[in-house]
Amino acid sequence: MATGRESGRLKDANQKRVLDEAARRRRMRKALEALELDNFHDDPHADLVMSKKVPKFQETLESRGGRKKKTRSAEYYKQRFRKTFAQLVEEDQNYNPDPPNYITAQAAPSKVPERHFCAVCGFISNYKCIPCGARYCSVRCLGTHLDTRCLKWTA
Amino acid sequence: MCYEYFGSYAEGLYKMATNKAVFILDNGAYTAKVGFSHSDHPRVIPNCIMKAKSERRRPFVGDQLEDCRDVSGLFYILPFQKGYLVNWDVQKNVWDYIFSKECCPVNFTEAPLIVTEPYFNFPSVQEAMTEIFFEEYECTSLLRINAGDLSCYNYMKKNAGTLCCLLVDSGYSFTHIAPYIKGKKLKQGIIRIDVGGKMLTNHLKEIISYRQLHVMDETHVMNQVKEDACFVSQNFLHDMEIARKRDAENTIARDYVLPDFTTLRRGYVRSIGTADKSSESEQQQILRLNNERFTVPEILFQPSDLGISQMGIPEAICHSISVCPAEAQSHLFANILLTGGCTLFPGFRERVEAEVRSRAPDHVDVRVTLPANPVTYAWQGGASLQQDPEFFNMTVSREEYEEEGHNLCFEKFDI
Repeated sequence: MATGRESGRLKDANQKRVLDEAARRRRMRKALEALELDNFHDDPHADLVMSKKVPKFQETLESRGGRKKKTRSAEYYKQRFRKTFAQLVEEDQNYNPDPPNYITAQAAPSKVPERHFCAVCGFISNYKCIPCGARYCSVRCLGTHLDTRCLKWTA
Repeated sequence: MCYEYFGSYAEGLYKMATNKAVFILDNGAYTAKVGFSHSDHPRVIPNCIMKAKSERRRPFVGDQLEDCRDVSGLFYILPFQKGYLVNWDVQKNVWDYIFSKECCPVNFTEAPLIVTEPYFNFPSVQEAMTEIFFEEYECTSLLRINAGDLSCYNYMKKNAGTLCCLLVDSGYSFTHIAPYIKGKKLKQGIIRIDVGGKMLTNHLKEIISYRQLHVMDETHVMNQVKEDACFVSQNFLHDMEIARKRDAENTIARDYVLPDFTTLRRGYVRSIGTADKSSESEQQQILRLNNERFTVPEILFQPSDLGISQMGIPEAICHSISVCPAEAQSHLFANILLTGGCTLFPGFRERVEAEVRSRAPDHVDVRVTLPANPVTYAWQGGASLQQDPEFFNMTVSREEYEEEGHNLCFEKFDI
């Protein structure tokens, strides 16, 4: 009486977390960064020290003898030219501030409107998942999406 | 006795040939194309070090991977990052292998070297490159050049009389559009689209892993799936409709038989329903590919499909040409050249031509050329550049480098 009746539907809606625009963009960026990865898994032999010096079958003892010129090791060059990609871009901005350079060569945004595809099946999609903004095309795909990825998965 | 005679004879021939020959290294982020200018084809060698789950004793450098029986779960160590040389220790190891007796023996104190670099290569990468070849490999003379310059040179040589060339180089890390007018690149017209073969393979891995089978660890195998099964659609929405259909009406869906590395070393595409019912085929692992076959290469044409806000290839071509002087524009439209591994997708050339045609002004001719081997085209350009009378004026010799250092290289090499 005093408390009155509560609507389960309204309560549910209030509890549902909805990602804001910034979070959606962050997820999108992360997904794109994942597409740049060399490997998804870790080095299977990270604990092993592999050596080029391990003899292979075709090698004879003589051919492994001393070399004429003392060559520098790969490790030397790693130390000598140690620069990350981000450092290189930044350095380039100081060195070549005027276009054309690496940054300005990047293609401009397209004038063609974006197309949208279902995140589950890949066909054209007309709807957006309310909590996370992923695209879907049908109730069936929405169900799959809610069960597997919606707000559970961060790429 | 006989063998010894033959050995020394062959060696003599080799020395004679190499005295004049130039060594060309088209150093791509995925494969290096290497060989002497007098050979017909370069060797195409993976530019990376790989570790296999099945082989604990050693890593595989370059084409040593051919010795590896089971390449499932292959782990890659790449010298390049986003198309630029960053991991020098890895690159040094791969180069040491490539230049060694086991692969492509070369003596740089005798043979001049042409080595390629990406557009807008960073100054410190250029310095490192110069230093390593002059000081470590003791090169007698060196030419550092954009791979695209070599492709364009090759194109001009093969099509005498052409003045302009618009190069589309769609490689592993990215795609470049570069206009060349009278053999010179117009730097302000160069456009980079950050989509290449690596991103396509990773995207295919991602969607297959979500929809069917976990293949995130199988970059090597999935790259082969991409090469074998993907194509560029000529009418995207129409193909989408076909892919929606069921059974026989769906002419796009295919099965891909994955390799098991005991009976099958490389997978293959199979039409649906043609499997024999033997016990062997029951053990096969199959991927069902449907819209994946053409939505993956589609990203090159519309990167916004993945949320990358950049122009696709045809739009970028037209944009790049619009920056060029008006008198060159019609020539550029008529001489569009495709190179790089991604151009090997079936239908790539036709799609580029059709889309550029529909965007270009009515009165200009649009011609798009796909060479017989778009991967080695730049290398072939290097091989013919070596015969150019200007060639030795383009190179920097070791004496000059020791005298004047990096400044001379920055002056002479137009990267």
